Amino acid sequence: MTADATPARMRMPARHVRPWSRVYGLGSIYAKTMRDSRLSFIVMAGLLGGVMFVVGAAIPQVFASSSAREDIVRMAHDLGSVAAGVAGKPVNVGTLGGYISWKYGPVFLIIASLWSILALSSTLAGEAQRGSLEFVAVSPFGKRRIAFEKLAAHLTVMTLVLVIMAFAGWLTAALFGKLPEDAIPPQAAVGFALWIGLVALVFGGLALVLSPFIGRGPAAGIAGAALFAGWILNGYAATVPAFRIPADLTPWAWTNNHVPLGGEYDWGSLAFTAVIAIVLLAVGLEAFVRRDLGASMSIRTPNTPRALRGLGGPLSRSFSERLPVAISWAIGLGIFGLAMAGASRSLADSFGNSPDLQKTFDTIFPNFNVATAGGLLQLLISLAFIVVGFAASTLVSGWASDESSGRLEMLLSTPLARSRWAISSGLGVYGAIVVMTVIMAVAIGIGAMSAGSDAITPMVGTTTLGLYAAALAGVGFAVGGWRTSVAAESVALLVVVMYLIDLIVPALQLPDWIHQLALTAHLGQPMVGVWDPAGVVACIALAAGGLLIGGWGMRSRDVAR
Amino acid sequence: MVAIIETEKLTKSYGSHRGIVDVDLVVEQGEVFGFLGPNGAGKTTTIRVLLDLIRPTSGKASVFGIETTVDPVAIHRRIGYLPGEFTLYDRMTGGDTLEYFANLRGGVDLAYQASLIERFDLDPSRKFKEYSKGNKQKVGLVAALQHKPDLLVLDEPTAGLDPLVQQTFFAVLREAVGEGRTVFLSSHVLSEAEKSCDRVAIIREGRIVMVDRVDALRDLAAHQVELRFVGPVQAAEFEKIPGVTGVVAEDHVLRMHVTGPIAPVVKAAARFELADFVSREPSLEETFLAQYSEPAR
Repeated sequence: MTADATPARMRMPARHVRPWSRVYGLGSIYAKTMRDSRLSFIVMAGLLGGVMFVVGAAIPQVFASSSAREDIVRMAHDLGSVAAGVAGKPVNVGTLGGYISWKYGPVFLIIASLWSILALSSTLAGEAQRGSLEFVAVSPFGKRRIAFEKLAAHLTVMTLVLVIMAFAGWLTAALFGKLPEDAIPPQAAVGFALWIGLVALVFGGLALVLSPFIGRGPAAGIAGAALFAGWILNGYAATVPAFRIPADLTPWAWTNNHVPLGGEYDWGSLAFTAVIAIVLLAVGLEAFVRRDLGASMSIRTPNTPRALRGLGGPLSRSFSERLPVAISWAIGLGIFGLAMAGASRSLADSFGNSPDLQKTFDTIFPNFNVATAGGLLQLLISLAFIVVGFAASTLVSGWASDESSGRLEMLLSTPLARSRWAISSGLGVYGAIVVMTVIMAVAIGIGAMSAGSDAITPMVGTTTLGLYAAALAGVGFAVGGWRTSVAAESVALLVVVMYLIDLIVPALQLPDWIHQLALTAHLGQPMVGVWDPAGVVACIALAAGGLLIGGWGMRSRDVAR
Repeated sequence: MVAIIETEKLTKSYGSHRGIVDVDLVVEQGEVFGFLGPNGAGKTTTIRVLLDLIRPTSGKASVFGIETTVDPVAIHRRIGYLPGEFTLYDRMTGGDTLEYFANLRGGVDLAYQASLIERFDLDPSRKFKEYSKGNKQKVGLVAALQHKPDLLVLDEPTAGLDPLVQQTFFAVLREAVGEGRTVFLSSHVLSEAEKSCDRVAIIREGRIVMVDRVDALRDLAAHQVELRFVGPVQAAEFEKIPGVTGVVAEDHVLRMHVTGPIAPVVKAAARFELADFVSREPSLEETFLAQYSEPAR
């Protein structure tokens, strides 16, 4: 007697998948990835398209005359090497497109590249590490098709975002351009978008290649480091010849002569960049196919010194957990502060030699004396408040993660009162902010010394950045006492609102009381030694009061899971 | 006996969602108390109220005679807790995690901690994020046990553990109980509750439907009885006995379900020439399923 071991093939009822669902929705892996990308599409289209449009609208208004444009050209060429290194290549900076490319080109490229790095490092490896990819991988598709559909979705979303950015560039020049040379032809807009997209894909592709081997986080970290290292190396290669060779290995250098918004094209370099991007994406896709799902080599890192492991209690644990994030922000802000402090004197001299330009800036920023190094540094550092605010938001997010990730339940089953957890771990966040502030202060001090300016005053003035971050964190703790899941978001929202008040109220000449609502309006000008005691007291009160309110709020509510 | 856990009409509602309703429980010192129920029945909600992680809507709960909302820290000082789902610090090693939790408790007996690590076969040098699900569970178990708490509150403690480690876990539990400590164990794995618990409570849709000793609960379900006779027997003789249902006659064999005392069936069978008598005890699982097959009150 024999038995038929082949199972009967079940006839499943056919389910019709609508064509649109295969493009966007739940009808295919591509469609699901597109659906998952909707928030990043909105954010990136808003950032790249929105910034392009707003900047394009503002520049012709601020620099309306031919003489103002000539001043800009002079300033761009007279810029100290420290500041010039972080700007784009100055090509026809007296035109709208040239100015955008020079001042904001690297910013556009960094934003798009970070997006691509995060998306491509997490789309496969991140999902594999979480385990959700295993459900997809056992569906009747090959791994190559899964990877290809996910990659195709990212490329589609990126293309859409770049089309919007290119259109915004062309449109803003057509609507707001004051001088004939302000026009941005479609060829230039497309060339700029292609540059952004292809370079971003090189760095994203690098993350995609590395992620199956070393995991999502390290891959994103290495690709991000390559992005910023390339920017710095290429920017300062003229000043430091030793940077030339490593800089030439990055797309920053390959595409150095492609400045389409300034009227300079290098399509060959773009084609080379495209080939490298395609190779990296193909290798990354193949690596995912050939590697074990979710397997990655662990990179051995040096053991954290015992004193920094944070095992003593909630304060030291919170400090230890937040420290890497605080140091990362401090390094970014420190580089910015170093460059700004280093450039402040030469920029101030440029303003001093150009009464028209100084008059323009006096109109926009009436409270800043841009003809002095300290006054200009104060103006430039004001931009750091928004970044410091977001740093505070991420630190509060980390603080809140004890509850949002489910750890708090175990912590509170020890003899640790809720309010003690909230206050001690909040103090740990303040400790991390202190470290962040000290690193920024040192960087700004070095920059100021390199420019031959007074270093002590701006270093002490950096304290306001720390106070502002602590005040915002205090607000976050107070909100967290009610609900930690919205604490970080509340801080971020507050940062944006205060930044907008700072930006819009003087420009639109709205009543001063509106401006006074922003905490940033009460922080004086500490970079030139002018302190506002009311602002300092307000920051300390918000930091201390917020922490106490958070501790009190935690006492009387349910702990979330 | 001393009551370690006591709840009185304990109720927790989440807006329109049901949590637990009028839960009355008493857990005594030195016992392993099983808290059984399917997913979403209210097991974890009850535990979280007992630990003051969430506050009751009405009613009250006391642990060690202390009301949970009055001095939770005093309660926490004497308990060990393993949540059903938890995450810890990804970048910390298992050893550092255990040290941190030991420090939060003011220190532990390091020799006992080391013995638990060894018995659970845990590698404490690896980072938490690198552990498998089972090893993460081991870290949680050691964190809950290492300070020798008077009360262990364990929510699905064997989830992810292999059978050998499960054996070790139950051995550790027996030792704890042997030392006079108390265990409150939530589970839906009925076989483990059956072999480890002294008493169990069954919770259904937020309400306690039954609390009793494991063996008493078994009596509530029908025994499956098989009587083999030498000659033919009238099934009607047995159908009229109270508690007997589902009598099936097949040649000289009678099969039936018996709920309650079995003595009347034995007496009736003795009136005939009996060749064999087989009675199978119901498992806790059968009791549990019997409870759940009835409509909710």
